[in-house]
Amino acid sequence: MCASVKYNIRGPALIPRMKTKHRIYYITLFSIVLLGLIATGMFQFWPHSIESSSDWNAEKRSVRDVPVVRLPADSPIPERGDLSCRMHTCFDVYRCGFNPKNKIKVYIYSLKKYVDDLGVPVSNTISREYNELLTAISDSDYYTDDISRACLFVPSIDVLNQNTLRIKETAQALAQLSRWDRGTNHLLFNMLPGGPPDYNTALDVPRDRALLAGGGFSTWTYRQGYDVSIPVYSPLSAEADLPEKGPGPRRHFLLSSQTGLHPEYREDLEALQAKHGESVLVLDKCTNLSEGVLSVRKRCHKHQVFDYPQVLQEATFCVVLRGARLGQAVLSDVLQAGCVPVVIADSYVLPFSEVLDWKRWTSGSMCIRNKKPLRFENYYFRLVFQTEGNDSLVGHEVNSLGHSWEQWDSEAIALATLQIINDRIYPYAAISYEEWNDPPAVKWSSVSNPLFLPLIPPQSQGFTAIVLTYDRVESLFRVITEVSKVPSLSKLLVVWNNQNKNPPEDSLWPKIRVPLKVVRTAENKLSNRFFPYDEIETEAVLAIDDDIIMLTSDELQFGYEVWREFPDRLVGYPGRLHLWDHEMSKWKYESEWTNEVSMVLTGAAFYHKYFNYLYTYKMPGDIKNWVDAHMNCEDIAMNFLVANVTGKAVIKVTPRKKFKCPECTAIDGLSLDQTHMVERSECINKFASVFGTMPLKVVEHRADPVLYKDDFPEKLKSFPNIGSL
Amino acid sequence: MQLWRKKSLWLALSASWLLLVLLGGFPLLRPAVPPRPRPGGPQRWPRWLDAELLQSFSQPGELPEDAPPPPQASHGSSCDWGTCFDTSKCRGDGLKVFVHQVAAGPISETGRKILASLEVSRYHTFSPAEACLRLFLSLDSPAGECSPVPTPWNGGRNHLVLSLHSAPCPRTFQLGQAMVAEASPTVDSFRPGFDVALPLLPEAHPWRGGAPGQLRQHSPQPGVALLALEEERGGWRTAGTNSSACPWDGHCKQDPGPEQTHPGEMLPNATFCLISGQRVDASSRFLQALQAGCIPVLLSPRWELPFSEVIDWTKAAIVADKRVPLQVLAALQEMPPARVLALRQQTQFLWDAYFSSVEKVIHTTLEIIQDRIFGTSAHPSLLWNSPPGALLALPTFSTIPQNFPFYHLQRGSRPEGRFSALIWVGAPGQPPLKLIQAVAGSQHCAQILVLWSSEQPLPSRWPETAVPLTVMDGHRKVSDRFFPYRAINTDAILSLDARSSLSTMEVNFAFVVWQSFPERMVGFLTWSHFWDEALGGWGYTAERANEFSMVLTTAAFYHRYYHTLFTHSLPKALRTLADEAPTCVDVLMNFLVAAVTKLPPIKVPCGKQQQEAAPLAPGGRRSGPKHQPPVPDCINQMAAAFGHMPLVSSRLRLDPVLFKDPVSVQRKKYRSLEKP
Repeated sequence: MCASVKYNIRGPALIPRMKTKHRIYYITLFSIVLLGLIATGMFQFWPHSIESSSDWNAEKRSVRDVPVVRLPADSPIPERGDLSCRMHTCFDVYRCGFNPKNKIKVYIYSLKKYVDDLGVPVSNTISREYNELLTAISDSDYYTDDISRACLFVPSIDVLNQNTLRIKETAQALAQLSRWDRGTNHLLFNMLPGGPPDYNTALDVPRDRALLAGGGFSTWTYRQGYDVSIPVYSPLSAEADLPEKGPGPRRHFLLSSQTGLHPEYREDLEALQAKHGESVLVLDKCTNLSEGVLSVRKRCHKHQVFDYPQVLQEATFCVVLRGARLGQAVLSDVLQAGCVPVVIADSYVLPFSEVLDWKRWTSGSMCIRNKKPLRFENYYFRLVFQTEGNDSLVGHEVNSLGHSWEQWDSEAIALATLQIINDRIYPYAAISYEEWNDPPAVKWSSVSNPLFLPLIPPQSQGFTAIVLTYDRVESLFRVITEVSKVPSLSKLLVVWNNQNKNPPEDSLWPKIRVPLKVVRTAENKLSNRFFPYDEIETEAVLAIDDDIIMLTSDELQFGYEVWREFPDRLVGYPGRLHLWDHEMSKWKYESEWTNEVSMVLTGAAFYHKYFNYLYTYKMPGDIKNWVDAHMNCEDIAMNFLVANVTGKAVIKVTPRKKFKCPECTAIDGLSLDQTHMVERSECINKFASVFGTMPLKVVEHRADPVLYKDDFPEKLKSFPNIGSL
Repeated sequence: MQLWRKKSLWLALSASWLLLVLLGGFPLLRPAVPPRPRPGGPQRWPRWLDAELLQSFSQPGELPEDAPPPPQASHGSSCDWGTCFDTSKCRGDGLKVFVHQVAAGPISETGRKILASLEVSRYHTFSPAEACLRLFLSLDSPAGECSPVPTPWNGGRNHLVLSLHSAPCPRTFQLGQAMVAEASPTVDSFRPGFDVALPLLPEAHPWRGGAPGQLRQHSPQPGVALLALEEERGGWRTAGTNSSACPWDGHCKQDPGPEQTHPGEMLPNATFCLISGQRVDASSRFLQALQAGCIPVLLSPRWELPFSEVIDWTKAAIVADKRVPLQVLAALQEMPPARVLALRQQTQFLWDAYFSSVEKVIHTTLEIIQDRIFGTSAHPSLLWNSPPGALLALPTFSTIPQNFPFYHLQRGSRPEGRFSALIWVGAPGQPPLKLIQAVAGSQHCAQILVLWSSEQPLPSRWPETAVPLTVMDGHRKVSDRFFPYRAINTDAILSLDARSSLSTMEVNFAFVVWQSFPERMVGFLTWSHFWDEALGGWGYTAERANEFSMVLTTAAFYHRYYHTLFTHSLPKALRTLADEAPTCVDVLMNFLVAAVTKLPPIKVPCGKQQQEAAPLAPGGRRSGPKHQPPVPDCINQMAAAFGHMPLVSSRLRLDPVLFKDPVSVQRKKYRSLEKP
């Protein structure tokens, strides 16, 4: 825009015949154009700067303007919470029938201000945290504004802190909600339950069948599988920006940072500190702070002043003791600081314990329940014992814990609660233990073998041979004849990849003892070899090229026997290796006689048919299309896929023999020349970048029959004909 | 005139210019300023103008943590682990269980099995004073009377009332603070974390061993029925995959599709097995389905799933709401193959690890209580829920999965690259200098431990080696060889007999192979077991054959965890047997590893001199040379003690990649293995 304007301004000067009068005129004219352009620009950007900060569909009002609802003194009160409630007794699952994609729909009642007969408010209209929590729900996929399609209802009546509300009147307010219906499918969030003197561990507001997401449940009040135990939100850790702290030893072994501990607890802790010195630190409120310092952000030990929650990062273990309530906000601070919490609170239901494995989270060492009388000394030695020699491990686990829960803010609490309820309603689509508990680092690096059960399939099942062919009929028939001699062959499948030519007449095919089936494909693609055809009835599949005629029946049968012992691996004949080329800083493909193997060619290989499904439907990135486009490397892709998902190496069987054309794929003319090797190397580099890792595993062994080349009568060997040419 | 025309021309031009700009600008403007609120989008929670001014739900500093903890509230008769179990009694040796003598008179078959299982448990004690848990068997006596309260009842504190059958008789005594372990307790009476939910076992459930899972293949066979439904009379019927309606009665009336009825107790051949959640007796069907590898689908079960405290049933079963059967059916039909595959395999693992015998059920119950006592150093969930299961992964060894041999392959990791050689000197003779030199020559060798178990005095001089050499004085017992010595600080152990002869290259290759199979034993010399029809028992032989199922521990690599397992989990009787007949120790170790892995050991090639040095005949019935003393029949005694034959045969040997290939020997890494 600038450039053109410049040009326009300078324009008149380029026309010397024009008069000054005109010049002024033109200048005016172009200024108008310029103005117009600027205005356009302004219009484009101006509204954004105001509105982009908020959602277009959210109204903009003040909390003070919400409608006021007057509750008559005699309006109904719900029953007290029903302790026997379970999902199948108190939850109306039919309301979730409309919800597509196994996701519950959540409705939020609009905000009202409730007052009693005298006009005195029932509670604070809404707290900052509850507003954030409702905003998070509203912004999530769970939200619906259609009350008739909702399956879960969240009242906007804020009951996070029982101390800020009038119990009876709040209950009355709940009861008059339009879909209350004894609280069925209603979800209440509460973090600070109970009140003096006995501090109940669940919200005292009568709530009938409503679900309660509560902080500080005890096993007595928690309805397993119905309520959700949530953490107590800590405003402190939300504000504090803690630097990332790597694993490694920390200054203090054990730290107590809670103020207002029961004197008995504090005495015990201080005795421990006196005994162990520097490694134990017991902090308390500061008494002598200068004015203007926020006392909640400071902790003191004698005259030393510490910043809180930063000081938590200085300790390996942090004590979280119960107070009047079981749920303590300090737990959130401790976790965020990456300190292993030592929770000492009898019968406390830990946050999200339905799905989170606290034992594992805290490196399998923490969360001790106390018995009276407290014996810190015992705990202390237990901790020392368990962490001995495992320093790095503790650091690692806690560190990963910090990553998986960046922060227990309102949003995380709301979404985790809804996810838990969602998983109860759609258990078949539920999030797994690993997804809840594995730190992200583990998720990326670890494998999950789809065939994890150690199982040796029975020999009687046999295998299905799949021959991919284009038009080499003569060679194909020879392969069919050879393979049909293998005792365990149960079916032969020919994948006819040539659309321009019909397969030979039925009568021309070799007569063999097992069913032979020809599948015609729609397109000449290499991936057709790995399609999970319905015709494959056995678990074992032998992929074999139409020119592999040099394998003996003994070799193939032995290959099948080896596959039975390793059903989750690729078991193949010609082996290949990938190498790191230090000069070029990339991977290189190697087909020479090496002492190592990391791939087998699928020109002749046994594998489980499930890998066909994985190859066809779950191949990462664009690898499948890439292979089809390049007409090469489908075998390397399969090797990557299997190694990546199982984390295991291939098994090469039997000695190397002279394959007529081991590098041949379905197409003629591809020879073992330099370009071919370059292409194959490119494939490895391409796949490694798509997988984001090098999954192939290098091994130095191959499988031979037990008595191979042993000094033993040949006729007594099970597989005598191995390695012969 | 011309000027005017020129003027008007320019005016027109500029006007059109402006128009163009404005017109061109407006379409760009439009999406930026949509009408609000948009009619189609959902009405969201409002963004309050004064959101910044909202108060926090609690003011920091005013948090009521300042209040002292209230006195422990009493909860009447209800109990949980924290209040009703006194763990202080279990501090010393962990869990010790004393079983109250059942009242005189005949006890049922199941009762006998339970008692026998308890007695072989490592937690069992005969001394009531030592016990921290007293177990009381709630059995119905033939007369239909219930056993009376055992005498030192102590209000039920630290007592476990165990009954393998649901509510056998009305409780004639107050349970007090006792825990209850019963089959399929109702959800309402079950106290999570305190009671233990047992499976409902059939009368004829085997005492030990037990039938393995019946799954023969990982993935469902194509064409197999999607769903099997339990019949009233105890059989199963299958419903076709294409039935569009819910195939069970009561809910819908459409054509249920092709159905087949299987009479009797036949195990279902279907992918999923629908089991009623309402009737408690249906829970025996649950086990049946589990064994068959038929994924149990439970509709709102009213009973607690067995061992739900530790078993993650979401990995092996589907618990759905009975009120939405159509939704469940749709979900089953659409379930991705990966999930079906995982669920099926998990059923088999769980069956085999915790349910297939009375002994496993009882031991699992005790293990759960032991885990509660251990609290934080108990089995992590991963160990309970992945093969081989918590009974075989001792938390006293470690609670970190990476320290066990079985999780490396599951997690795609490799064990560390060093081993400790443990040389056992049993028979009189010279110190195995040559062997020590050969082993010390390996770059993977971290240390050499010599376990001197010979009657001869310890030699004072040992060869200089590149790696540390430690000599330990043994107890002249063969089972000493598998003691978890503290000195063993590597994952891998190379177990050696002083008479073995190995070359450095053989050691190197075998170790590299072991790193790929850290949960198995990797050895050179093999034996194989066979069923002897004539004698009606098992036999084993050292004859060279086309397959093998055991490797000799006179030269074998394995994970050091197996020493812990050998010493702490095997019944003492078996270890005594091995001490009495030294050749049995090889069989025993192979049994143990195979029972854990369910896989055969691995054989690697060995040189000729080793084969010649091998003890030729073990205790094979046919092959034993006449002049050897008769060897006790250890294999059958062990098979009886394990309850089944765990050994698995293999038909392969792992050789170096270029083993005896026709290439220059210069190219080969392990060339000395090929020397004739």
